[in-house]
Amino acid sequence: MSIQVEGKIERQGFGSGTWALVSQSGETYELHQAPAALQQAGITVKVSGKIRDDIMTMAMIGPVLEVERFEVQG
Amino acid sequence: MKRFLLLVLFLVGLGWALTNYQGLAAQGTYDSLILDFREDVGAAQIESQIEAIAQKFTVSPRYNSEFSLDDHIFVVKGDAALLNQLRHSPLKELTEYIEPNYIYRQYAIPNDPEYGKQWNLRSINVEQAWDETKGKDITVAVIDTGISAVPDLEKTNFAAGYDFVNDQADAKDDNGHGTHVAGTIAQSTNNSFGVAGIAYEATLMPLKVLSSQGGGTVADIAEAIRFAADNGAAVINMSLGGGGESNLMKEAIAHAHEKGVVVVAAAGNAGRNAAEYPARYPYVIGVAALDAAGNKAPYSNYGAGIDIAAPGGLINGDDKSGGILQNTLNPATGESVFEAYQGTSMAAPHVAGVAALVKAMGVENPDDVAAVIQQSALPVPDDNLNHYGAGKLNAAEAVKLAGKGKFSFKDFFRWLRDNGYLNPRFWFDGGIIALWPKVFMVLGSYLLAWLLKHYFPFAWSWSMSTGLVMGSSGLFFLRGLYLYDAPQWPFRLLGSSIPEMGTAVQASGLLNPLFASVLIPLALLALLLGHRQLKWFAIGTTIGVGMCLAVSAAVDPALLWLGDGTIARTFLAVNAILCLALARLVLKPEGRTA
Repeated sequence: MSIQVEGKIERQGFGSGTWALVSQSGETYELHQAPAALQQAGITVKVSGKIRDDIMTMAMIGPVLEVERFEVQG
Repeated sequence: MKRFLLLVLFLVGLGWALTNYQGLAAQGTYDSLILDFREDVGAAQIESQIEAIAQKFTVSPRYNSEFSLDDHIFVVKGDAALLNQLRHSPLKELTEYIEPNYIYRQYAIPNDPEYGKQWNLRSINVEQAWDETKGKDITVAVIDTGISAVPDLEKTNFAAGYDFVNDQADAKDDNGHGTHVAGTIAQSTNNSFGVAGIAYEATLMPLKVLSSQGGGTVADIAEAIRFAADNGAAVINMSLGGGGESNLMKEAIAHAHEKGVVVVAAAGNAGRNAAEYPARYPYVIGVAALDAAGNKAPYSNYGAGIDIAAPGGLINGDDKSGGILQNTLNPATGESVFEAYQGTSMAAPHVAGVAALVKAMGVENPDDVAAVIQQSALPVPDDNLNHYGAGKLNAAEAVKLAGKGKFSFKDFFRWLRDNGYLNPRFWFDGGIIALWPKVFMVLGSYLLAWLLKHYFPFAWSWSMSTGLVMGSSGLFFLRGLYLYDAPQWPFRLLGSSIPEMGTAVQASGLLNPLFASVLIPLALLALLLGHRQLKWFAIGTTIGVGMCLAVSAAVDPALLWLGDGTIARTFLAVNAILCLALARLVLKPEGRTA
């Protein structure tokens, strides 16, 4: 399932920490193997990617989003 | 005169009760007695008395310590029989008191220097559980990011595991999460170093399925579950979750269950209604997280799939004292660190550790282990959203219950739940409903209707019965029904009686006085009295509401705005009487014409 999400990057403190994308509507996605450019808390980004239903994680904060393309907006 | 007699009777009763009350003192254990001689008795006299006791009862009284000399305090070996004999001997005159020398037991506090920071272990009463078992010979598989041999795992036993991410035998941790989780289960304890773990004589089996970034595939996890079950694990901990339903994983869990393995999983950290997979599969104990105050942590999932709650911690900015502290590794440097983490990931290993203790007590069947853990949990009243499942994990009670070797099952609920997982997909919490008041309400309203029928004959009808049920208890079993990923309030509303409807949507245990009153029956009667059949629904409702309010007034008078004291009780009682009077009023002319 391919989707587009706009929102803010957050570092969420579960376990040793995980990269999250919180959409404008408040939905939290866990970034799967977040690209280095997205590993920065507070930036606003537009990400397209797919939801990985076959992945489980230690953070369990929401759907796992594998990034295919992204655009840092600020 | 009558009053005087009553007063005398009351005083006699009170006196009898007080003289027969043994108090807490009767519950202690002792194997020696204390003799305290009066201050004015001379040393020579004491000596001769002591000698006399020594000869008569063949015991050897001694001073308790060198400080006892001035206080004239002696200790003598003896039991209740000797205590009784001494109290009836001439010694009584010479002593201030003769009493049992109670033994105060101190539960084993481990010597790990950082143990004081582990509020989580004290909150599950693990010290008392350690008196019975420490999980010896039980293998706990940790399906996670692997486990590294940090210093505070040096004395812990390990079984051979596997790294399914890199396909190698050595399942080392490159993230820190798995080592932390393993620490909660079996950190080396009483080793004068670091912190403690729950089942510290158990054996850990490291199974790496999550990468250094903390994610892994369902296929690897399913394989790890089978590996654990086929290689002697008694308990599996999965502090992981997410993704969709997978038959591969469901079958792996069923296989583990068949082999007698207890499977524990974290509920998830999205703060949402319903647990993640794998916690929501059948045969998996789903664990929600508590903060240090014992409340549900805000991030913890709740609702369908939550079986029990355990400490998961809550970290507040830089203050990490509310987290769960264990020895793990710094993923950046690979060095050993003592770090506080938070999450349902931390809650699950508490339950896995206690499951190992219960298994070590000889409880074999995984359903029995789950039943012991759930039945021994501290229930949380008014848990309408199922934040806590059966309640808060209690290691001491679980081990005690396991030692008793008998526990009753709620077979029906289990059957319902297990089948419910397949189709339709729901989860039932039998503990959410206070059953007896509901039964009273329904039976009471039927009984009342029957009585009224006796005086004012009317024909029993379907609409009457519907009214009685809706007014008194509602379809209360629906209140404990949770459908995965569905909002909970429609079931609560459907499962509520009319007096409960005012607060059903917001899941409050309190009653709304506007709904829990004579108002709705009055309105229904006003609207429906002209209708031939619906009139009976209104009458049934009036009787039902009356009974519901009467039982609430007697059992649990908790109202919005009015509190739960005398005001609320009076309000409910008055409205109950008004409802019944109203029903009588409406039925009366009917009786005459019939």
